[in-house]
Amino acid sequence: MQLSMTFTRVWRPAAVIITVLAATEILQRTGIGPVYIPAPSSVLEKAISSRAILLENLGPTAGRAGLGFLIAAVATFTAASLAAVFRPLYGVIYNTGAALHSLPIIATAPLLALWIGTGAQLQVTLAAMACQFPILVGTIQGLGSADAQQRELLIVLSASRAQTLRHLLVPSALPYIFAGLKVAAPSAVLGTVTAEWAGSERGIGAMMLYALFAYDTATVWLSVIATCLLSAAGFGFWALVEKLTDRTIDETEIAN
Amino acid sequence: MSSDINVGRVTAVFDGRKGRTIALESVDLIVKAGSFGSIIGPSGCGKSTLLRLIAGIIPPFAGSVTIGGEPPDAIRRERRLGFVFQSATLLPWRNVRQNIQFPLDIAGRGHRSQEEAFCTELIELVGLKGFENALAHELSGGMQQRAAIARALVLKPDVLMLDEPFGALDEITRQRMNIEMLRIWAESHTTALLVTHSIAEAVFMSDTVSVMSPRPGRIISTIQIDLPRPRNLEMMRGREFFNCVNQVRDALFMREMPRPDSDSQVETL
Ligand SMILES: Nc1ncnc2c1ncn2[C@@H]1O[C@H](COP(=O)(O)OP(=O)(O)OP(=O)(O)O)[C@@H](O)[C@H]1O
Ligand SMILES: [Mg+2]
Repeated sequence: MQLSMTFTRVWRPAAVIITVLAATEILQRTGIGPVYIPAPSSVLEKAISSRAILLENLGPTAGRAGLGFLIAAVATFTAASLAAVFRPLYGVIYNTGAALHSLPIIATAPLLALWIGTGAQLQVTLAAMACQFPILVGTIQGLGSADAQQRELLIVLSASRAQTLRHLLVPSALPYIFAGLKVAAPSAVLGTVTAEWAGSERGIGAMMLYALFAYDTATVWLSVIATCLLSAAGFGFWALVEKLTDRTIDETEIAN
Repeated sequence: MSSDINVGRVTAVFDGRKGRTIALESVDLIVKAGSFGSIIGPSGCGKSTLLRLIAGIIPPFAGSVTIGGEPPDAIRRERRLGFVFQSATLLPWRNVRQNIQFPLDIAGRGHRSQEEAFCTELIELVGLKGFENALAHELSGGMQQRAAIARALVLKPDVLMLDEPFGALDEITRQRMNIEMLRIWAESHTTALLVTHSIAEAVFMSDTVSVMSPRPGRIISTIQIDLPRPRNLEMMRGREFFNCVNQVRDALFMREMPRPDSDSQVETL
C-alpha cells in the first residue's frame, strides 16, 4: 500500500529523467551532442573512479553548509522572536535580513575573503548569509499567524508572554518555519559552493573550479550533480523532520 | 463566591480605516452576583464588543467596568473569568481533552488528579465522551463549540461570558445544553452573561434580558424574567413564559419601524 503510493508518485518524474539521460547518452554515442554535455555514462564512470575525491570534497561542503545553516537558523529565530515580542525592532530586523539577502554572493565573497580570509569561516559566513532570509521571513510571518480570537483566548486566560509564545505563537508558526527551513537548506549549499570559488582548497566548489580550468566536463557535471543532491538532501531532511513532528503530535494524541 | 457585573456609562469606539465607529454608547448594565443575564439584539449592535469590554480584552473609551468591585484585569489574573467565544477557537494542534485542559495548563494546575477528573466530567457533560482524542478539524461545528464551553468551565469561574455559545447547535442539543448550563450555573453560583439571537433561549435561561439596538450600540430595555427556578421545558408552554417572550420581542422590534433618515444612515454604513 505504502509502496504502491510512493511508486505512483515517483514514476512520472523518474520516467522524465531516464528519458533525458538516455537521449543524452544516445546523442553523445552518435557524436551529435555538444562537447560541454558529457555522456551520462562518462559522468557515472567518473563518479565511480573518483569517488574518493568526490567524498573528500563533498564532506567539507556539507559541513560548512550545515554549520552556516545552523548559525543562520539560530540568529534568525532569535531576531524573529525579538521582532514578534518587541514591535519597534520589527522593521530594523526585517530590513537587515532583506539587505543581507540582496547582496550578490559572487561579488561579496572576494571582498569578504580579504577581510576574514578564505578558510572555512568564509564559506560558513556566506552560507549563513545566503540562507537566512527565508528562515527569517518564515519565522516572522509564522509568529504573526495566530488569529485574533486565539490571542484573545490567551488574554482571557491571563497567559504570560512566554506562555503565549510557547502555547500559541510557536505552534501556529511551525508550518511557516518549516517552509522557510526547506527553502533555506538548498540556499546554504549554493552559498557554500559559490564561496568555495573565491578560494578554497577543498569542497565541491573548488572541485568544480579546478575541473573547469582543466576542461574536464565530466567532473564539472559530477560536481553540479553533487551540489544538486546535497541541496535536495537538505530540503528532504527538513521535509522529513516536518513529517515526523506531525506524526509525534498524532502519536501523543493517541497515547493520551 | 460570586461577583456582580457592573457596567457604567461605557462607550466603545473603533478607529478603523473608514474613520471612527461608535460600537457602544453610554451602556449601563448590571448583572447581580449569581444571577443569569442575557443580551439580545440585531447583528452588529455591539454584543460581542460589550462582552469583550467586561472581560477586559479591550479597554472602554469612556465609562467603567467592574466585576465584584474589581477591575476585569484583576479578575482575569485570578482566573475567575470564563469566556466562550462566538467561534469555538480550539487550538488545532491539541485534541479535545488537551483543549479543555488548556486553561489549567496556563494556570499551572494541569496535572492534579482532581482537575483531571473534573475534565473527564466536563467531557461527559458536553457529550464528547469518546472524542477525547479527536482534533478540532475532526469535529463538527457544534461539537467544537461544546468543547469550547467545557474549556470555559474548567477553571470553575465566578463570572462566565457566553457569546452565542449555542448558535451552532441543533434544536435538540441546544435545549439539552441550555438545561445543563443552567444546572452548572446553579451549582456553581457563577454570574453568567449570555449573548443570544434566540428570544426563547434568552427568556428560558435568564433573570434579566437586556435588549440592544444598533448604531450606536445601546441597551434600550431590560426585562425581568420572574419564572421560578429550576427552569424546565414545561414552563416554555406557560402563559408567563409567553408574556416574557412578547415583552422582549416588543422591545426588539420597537426600533425597527423604518425611519427615512436612519435608513439612509444604514446604507452608508
Ligand atoms: N476590531 C474591530 N475593529 C473595528 N470595528 C469593529 C471591531 N470589532 C467590532 N467592530 C464593529 O463594532 C460593531 C459591533 O460589533 P460586534 O462584534 O460587537 O457586534 P455583535 O453584536 O456581536 O454582532 P453579531 O451578532 O453579528 O455577532 C460593528 O459595527 C463592528 O463593525
Ligand atoms: Mg458577536
